Amino acid sequence: MNRLNRDTITAIVLLLVCGACFWQTFYIREIPFSTMGSEVWPRFALAMMFVLVSIYLVQSIASPPPRVEGERRSVRAWVSSYSSALWCFGMFFLFVLVMPYLGMLLSGILFVFVTQTVIGRRDPRSLAIHLVVALVAVGGMWAIFRYGLGVALPVGSLFR
Amino acid sequence: MLENLLTAFGDVFALHNLALMAGGVACGLIAGSIPGFTITMAVVLTLPFTFGMSPVEGLSTMLGVYVGGLTGGMFASALIGIPGTPSAISTTFDGFPMARKGRPGLALGLGLWSSFMAGILSAIVLVFMAPTLAAIGLEFGPWDYFTLVCFALTIAASLSDGALIKGLIAGVFGMVVAAIGEDAINGAERMTFGIDTWRSGFDFLPVLIGLFAFSQLLSDLRDKEAAKKPMLSGKHAVVRMEHLESIRLNFVHWITVVRASAIGLFIGLLPAAGSSISNILAYDQEKKASKHPEKFGTGVPEGVIASEASNNATAGGALIMMMALGIPGDAVTAVMLGALTIHNIAPSPTFISTQPKLAYAIMVAYFLANFMTLAMTSGCLRVFMLVTRVPLYILSVVILGYCAIGVFTLNNVISDIWTLLLFGVIGFVMQQRGFPLTPMVLGVVLGPVAELNLSRAIATSDDLTLFVTRPWALFFVLMAVFSVFFPLYQKARERGQRWSLYYGAAFMASVAVPLIMMGGWFRTGLGIALLLGAAALAWRRSRHTLTAS
Repeated sequence: MNRLNRDTITAIVLLLVCGACFWQTFYIREIPFSTMGSEVWPRFALAMMFVLVSIYLVQSIASPPPRVEGERRSVRAWVSSYSSALWCFGMFFLFVLVMPYLGMLLSGILFVFVTQTVIGRRDPRSLAIHLVVALVAVGGMWAIFRYGLGVALPVGSLFR
Repeated sequence: MLENLLTAFGDVFALHNLALMAGGVACGLIAGSIPGFTITMAVVLTLPFTFGMSPVEGLSTMLGVYVGGLTGGMFASALIGIPGTPSAISTTFDGFPMARKGRPGLALGLGLWSSFMAGILSAIVLVFMAPTLAAIGLEFGPWDYFTLVCFALTIAASLSDGALIKGLIAGVFGMVVAAIGEDAINGAERMTFGIDTWRSGFDFLPVLIGLFAFSQLLSDLRDKEAAKKPMLSGKHAVVRMEHLESIRLNFVHWITVVRASAIGLFIGLLPAAGSSISNILAYDQEKKASKHPEKFGTGVPEGVIASEASNNATAGGALIMMMALGIPGDAVTAVMLGALTIHNIAPSPTFISTQPKLAYAIMVAYFLANFMTLAMTSGCLRVFMLVTRVPLYILSVVILGYCAIGVFTLNNVISDIWTLLLFGVIGFVMQQRGFPLTPMVLGVVLGPVAELNLSRAIATSDDLTLFVTRPWALFFVLMAVFSVFFPLYQKARERGQRWSLYYGAAFMASVAVPLIMMGGWFRTGLGIALLLGAAALAWRRSRHTLTAS
């Protein structure tokens, strides 16, 4: 996957987003007597976006950026390069998924501890540090919002 | 004005508010000193804490973070040669060599005192200029305001470091995102794809935190080995600042302080152009104006002063734009505009006249934040530096967890955290593909403003030529056109293309036309002066070209 492909793929994805959003504008309810219909503005913005993305697509094909020396092109290399970010996104996804069941406090502590352990060091000392950091940081923040600012954070259906 | 100022003093100097501001300054100094963390991210993360506060308290706290962050950026720049924030990039050029020569205390002291002096200068300009500019803003009709928003978006894109098209795409994409959900004018549901939680549209906060904080943190984690090490280590925690020598040198180089502050203020006035641009520009100008430019980069005081004075002064300019015209001067003031809307205060040219107490409180808080930063940096430098000993991965994951809690507090719904994740992914992908995020945030903030004014303009008159025949509208259209062509002009100038010689003259002549159309002796005179200047410049350039050929 070279940079030309990446730019071209990005442009194509953006064109698809444009198309999907434009298709959605046909479902906007017509408002009688309005001076400017609700669909006008999104269509105007989408038309501009379409033109700009088309220019970007042409640019990506016509003048591809030079390949970086030593750049690895396999999917494995890509995954390895973005592994920390992918882990964080994945763990965050799980964190939000279990939050309604475990509550903000427990799922937050688990998220911080597990993610730090996965992307960081894994020796016993580091594990202990991760646990303390997770308990103090999430617990402290939870306490500030819960008791200091009076915000009702999710308790979790398992603990109700 | 005096009555409002006195009231503002009372509000800002309330004990509770002082404590919040001190906390904000401390957070800003810490965030600024961590390489990879941006001031915008720090201010965005402060936002959830401000929901329960009054507007004065909330904005004072955010201003504390902002000003503290601008100064905090120099710690890492001067001590390890890695900019703490993009606004301190040029501080590394001379600050780091100075520290390596055994004067880290002088490098930090120079940065601190020039930041302070520039901050105070720009605060003075803010107090006097914002109300004047706001009076001009009251002349704007919906046509003018719509074109002003267009100008803000185009200049944000054109200043996106060689990525004009990507910047424009990001800006328009932001407008599309802002259009999702219930239409504020007619109440119709738009582009929700049948998803219930999208019906009310995306709240500003999860979008902002997702785009700025989430994507930035994950980008910083890409280098796995670096993320496991402490950000700063070793002897730097025991640096003592050389205050007296720093003050003396700042007075010796007072022209540098004033020049860099003026550049910072001007860049701050440009919509969306922030301190990441001003510090480099001021450094470059200082080098050009210097009698010994060859010494720049070896640890000269002027280099540190120019960089640090300009980035702090930018804040004043950005605040002027935000308060006077309702247009963010940089990404941080875009966040502040979002904070105002959370408190049901509509940012517009009428802001100062309708919310005078809050407007003056912002000015007073900006003044105070500069003093607080000076005092706290002098007293607690060692404490702030301790945080930079924590490995990046530990800090990043904790902040990700905090992002979730902070976003949830907005509406007490988990769907906001899903929105955060969605925009975190979008922001991360955009950043990796070289799309600037500031134009997108501006699109999200200013999209509804543009739509509202377009709707008002059409409701008032069906004559579309008003978008180019009204003087202010024409002025902003011309500014937008020239800002779009600015990156092309820069490339053409590098290649020595002939048309680039006349770009400046064409700009001056074009802008003169709406100024003359506005009438009044000052604007007409300014317009005529610009026309004459354009003619002189074009004549000089053509003579220069003839001589060269």
